[in-house]
Amino acid sequence: MEAVTQYLLTGLSVGSVYAMVGLGFYVMWTAAKAVNFNFGDIFMLGAVLTVVAMDQGIPLLPAAVLAVVVAAIAAAAIERGFVRPFNQEANAIGWMLTTIAVGTMIESATTALFGSNPRGLPSPLAESPIRLGGAGIYPQELLLPVALVLVAVGLELFYRRTMLGRAMRAVAWNRTAAGLVGIDADRITLIAFGLAGGLGAMAGVLIGPVVQASSTMGGVIGLKGFMVAIIAGIANARGVVIAGVLYGVSEKFIEGYLSTAARDAIGFTLMVLLLLLFPQGLFGRKEIKKV
Amino acid sequence: MNAITDLAAAEQPSPASAPILSVNGLRVSYGRIEAVRGVDLAVGAGEFVGIIGSNGAGKTSLLRAVTGVLKPVGGSVRFDGADTTGLKSHAMVARGLAMVPEGRMVFADQSVRDNLVLGAFSRIGQDRAGVEADIARMIGLFPRLGERIDQQAGTLSGGEQQMLAIARGLLSRPKLLVIDELSLGLAPKILDMLFPVLTQLNREGLSILLVEQMASYALAVTHRTYVMENGRVLFDGESKALAGDDRVLDAYLGRRGKH
Repeated sequence: MEAVTQYLLTGLSVGSVYAMVGLGFYVMWTAAKAVNFNFGDIFMLGAVLTVVAMDQGIPLLPAAVLAVVVAAIAAAAIERGFVRPFNQEANAIGWMLTTIAVGTMIESATTALFGSNPRGLPSPLAESPIRLGGAGIYPQELLLPVALVLVAVGLELFYRRTMLGRAMRAVAWNRTAAGLVGIDADRITLIAFGLAGGLGAMAGVLIGPVVQASSTMGGVIGLKGFMVAIIAGIANARGVVIAGVLYGVSEKFIEGYLSTAARDAIGFTLMVLLLLLFPQGLFGRKEIKKV
Repeated sequence: MNAITDLAAAEQPSPASAPILSVNGLRVSYGRIEAVRGVDLAVGAGEFVGIIGSNGAGKTSLLRAVTGVLKPVGGSVRFDGADTTGLKSHAMVARGLAMVPEGRMVFADQSVRDNLVLGAFSRIGQDRAGVEADIARMIGLFPRLGERIDQQAGTLSGGEQQMLAIARGLLSRPKLLVIDELSLGLAPKILDMLFPVLTQLNREGLSILLVEQMASYALAVTHRTYVMENGRVLFDGESKALAGDDRVLDAYLGRRGKH
């Protein structure tokens, strides 16, 4: 019983990370019908830049905010330099290659400058675990689901209640029509990538104290975030949240009852099967567009 | 049809008086295919101008180049006293040119109200009260939109979507409204309601450029009409005169049974 609680809690925590990264993919996709494939590196920058800023003597909170802002700007710059120029024609796929390329550059540069060893991101919430229903967990890990709920609700309000959010949905629906009401679709897309970058980096900062910061921490998590977004049906934010959390929890159960080695093998297999059964994603609708 | 003819403005502003839009030698290509091959066209301030022509004549491509949806490969566009050749559509909206696109393109996943608010995107930051007043005015113009104000735009009928697309375009307070294929897919009953609204807006001072495959409607409401074929303007003239012109009667008004 304690084991089950433990798996549920840590699964909820790591699943929240997948969901937040997945929401980043959702935000990018809706605005641009393209994504930064190496989005995991923005996640990584969130944690690594926080450590770097703290090295300079900046306290945790301002360091974290600074890191998120810088990573968001980097994400927007990637849109401008590596997505937009390669996403001009309908069905263009150049951005797939270019975002993987720039992500690899970022990762290598980080390894060169930051070092190849993981470093701790000290947080008062990750110093000693608390006991909860027989399970041990860091308060830092409980912060993640809370942040996820805030982010999901915030996004929903942003898309429905703010002018910028409505404009982003308009661009997602029909770029031409958006331009014809005076919306600069390119600018909105740039902002969307920055917003997504902020979400991804925030996830990195929040999980950093638990998993340590390293140049390679983003790779697999970025991939899993992308996977849960696709499985959910990438145009459905609530679906992405549910799929992310469920994936995180299932991982912990596989890890617990089988082995860590089995986790990714079985997890990814499950994802492929789900996609085979639900080609539009679990919560996706066919993209209906009246022409 | 008579009702519409009667509504057409009697006093016609002269096209020579400072055109709000003038297009010179405009060319548009899709790869190697030339859709528009050197078109000259002008819309006077306060004028209601039509473009008719068969499917594939280049009408929509011409409009798209004028409104900045695509870049022309040659020629120039002047709007409201400035060279606007190659400017993107969002910049054209800010200058006072709004377009109701072919197929209406309402934001189907957003409410009617949000569609209208988005229509005012370029000015909502500065003039929220004015936008609210304009939305009320649009509901006065199209009461159906008022009844459906909180519905998703995708649930509206084709005619209602066209009303919404026009209202959305007007919310940017344009000097020139460009309309592409108003009649597309709409029943005559709805057209008999929509065209008089355009005439009324024109009388209130709005310049309108209307592309329309239904030549009879376009000739009845506009002051002047351009006839396009194969990417060129074949001829143009007073709409009243063209409505009796043999070339127009034969090709576009179906005198010999072809339509």
